[in-house]
Amino acid sequence: MIDFARVQKELQECSRDIESSGIKVSPKSDSLARLTGTIPGPIGTPYEGGTFQIDITLPVMGKFEWELKDGYPFEPPKMQFATKVWHPNISSQSGAICLDILKDQWSPALTLKTALLSVQALLSAPEPDDPQDAVVAQQYLRDYQTFVGTARYWTETFAKPSSLGVEEKVSKLVEMGFPEVLVRSTLESAGGDENLALEKLCSG
Amino acid sequence: MVSDSISANASIPSATKDFGKKKRANRSAKLKQCKLDARREQWLSQGVAKNKGIKEEPAGPRGSPPLPGKGSERKHLLEKLEMRRRDEDENGSIHHDFDSDSPSNSPTGSSVLGGSVSGTNFTGSSSSSSSSSSSGGCCSGSITEDDEDNCLDDWEAVADALAADDENKQGNCHDDNSPCLESGLETHRDREPVVRLDSHCEALKRSLPNSAPMRVAPANSRAWRPDDECRPQSLPNLAKQRSLPNADRHCGQGGFQWDYPSAGAVNGPSSCPVCTEDLDFTDASFLPCSCRFQVCLFCYKKMLELDGRCPNCRKLYEHVPAEVEVEVEASVHGGSLTLKLPRSYSMIARS
Repeated sequence: MIDFARVQKELQECSRDIESSGIKVSPKSDSLARLTGTIPGPIGTPYEGGTFQIDITLPVMGKFEWELKDGYPFEPPKMQFATKVWHPNISSQSGAICLDILKDQWSPALTLKTALLSVQALLSAPEPDDPQDAVVAQQYLRDYQTFVGTARYWTETFAKPSSLGVEEKVSKLVEMGFPEVLVRSTLESAGGDENLALEKLCSG
Repeated sequence: MVSDSISANASIPSATKDFGKKKRANRSAKLKQCKLDARREQWLSQGVAKNKGIKEEPAGPRGSPPLPGKGSERKHLLEKLEMRRRDEDENGSIHHDFDSDSPSNSPTGSSVLGGSVSGTNFTGSSSSSSSSSSSGGCCSGSITEDDEDNCLDDWEAVADALAADDENKQGNCHDDNSPCLESGLETHRDREPVVRLDSHCEALKRSLPNSAPMRVAPANSRAWRPDDECRPQSLPNLAKQRSLPNADRHCGQGGFQWDYPSAGAVNGPSSCPVCTEDLDFTDASFLPCSCRFQVCLFCYKKMLELDGRCPNCRKLYEHVPAEVEVEVEASVHGGSLTLKLPRSYSMIARS
């Protein structure tokens, strides 16, 4: 069982110092079992300026079915990036996070806020030797500059309020008959500029 | 022997006088005096019989029961007394142990003493019943005047407690919270354990050199006052007692002192960081880990079931309660059993 009293208190405490931490947790529905966390991209990283949404699902039970009463906070919250991120320890496809405290190193003394702070710290300190996304990790190790560029582009494209229309741009260009993969890569190289990307696509 | 018992008899009236003097100061209590006197006489006559028991004991066969006629008479008196006191909802801490009249316990004149001593300074333990059977006839015959003096002191204390209770009743009717006794709830809770602890204390005392525990007794034989330093400040904690079977017995001041880390209670968090429930006094004074990270007892048990580590510093908790220890050991011995153990945990927890 989820300790909802604790979740409620955590939400209250989190909203109290939202100004200083920048970390926001809000329930998706009335159940409090599904929440959305929001973290700002750490300053001095390719994620600076971005706002990253993280889906949080609180476990109702433990690892085994008879541990029905061992939900959150005795089990770690399930966290997954809803915003696309280019990071060695975060899946560029699913947003899955590779972070020990969200797995075996979870402690009931941690909270949603501290867990989100840890995720934020992970953004500024990637661990390419223990990757979640092998492609990103390879790029990070072999071509760091490209990695930084891509990560920055993804931040600009997916993690900024102004870039919320990216998916619309993509679908518009795809409707014009360009393959989606090509559209995305062209948009990326064009810095998110739809017209420039269209020009490139037409000339290319 | 006979003269001893006579002297015991003779010394009683002086105590009675003392007591009477005290009470005379309190005019409001005078109406209750007759009732008290009658009750005290019952107690005293019982005490005399007990003292006789001690005195006779070295010569006679150990563990010999008192004379049948006397015994039954005494038992009758006791029963009457007990019933009356039950009816009046007296403080449980001065309840006398019935069992001490049984033959196996009869050599212990100190059972009366033990009753009041343990009753007044005992913070509450229900786990001592196992030791109550150990009160066989191992009394050395050397219990002497020391006992008698203390015994009288105790009678005084008992009478004090009774008087306090009576006065209180007079003051605010139907309220059995006496100013210098524990709250009604605690009284209620304590009653059962105390009765059982009596014989445990006897056994303990007899096993000690006979002077030491007896000297301790007078200091402990008073009822608690609100400003008393040694007064227990919280309800007995059963979980803690289970985890430390011998540690927190509060039997006499020579024994183990229950550690009240009041500093922790003041400085520590007011709510459990895991379940966010408020910490009560027992929780607040519970420091399971050397890193001083506090959790409530419920969450502590939960942590032991999960991995037995402190949620803050991840160190293994040092002392594991006996019941859990067994299961933890089992998991160490049979590696393949570890998966089954959580099931047994949760079964226990669910029931």
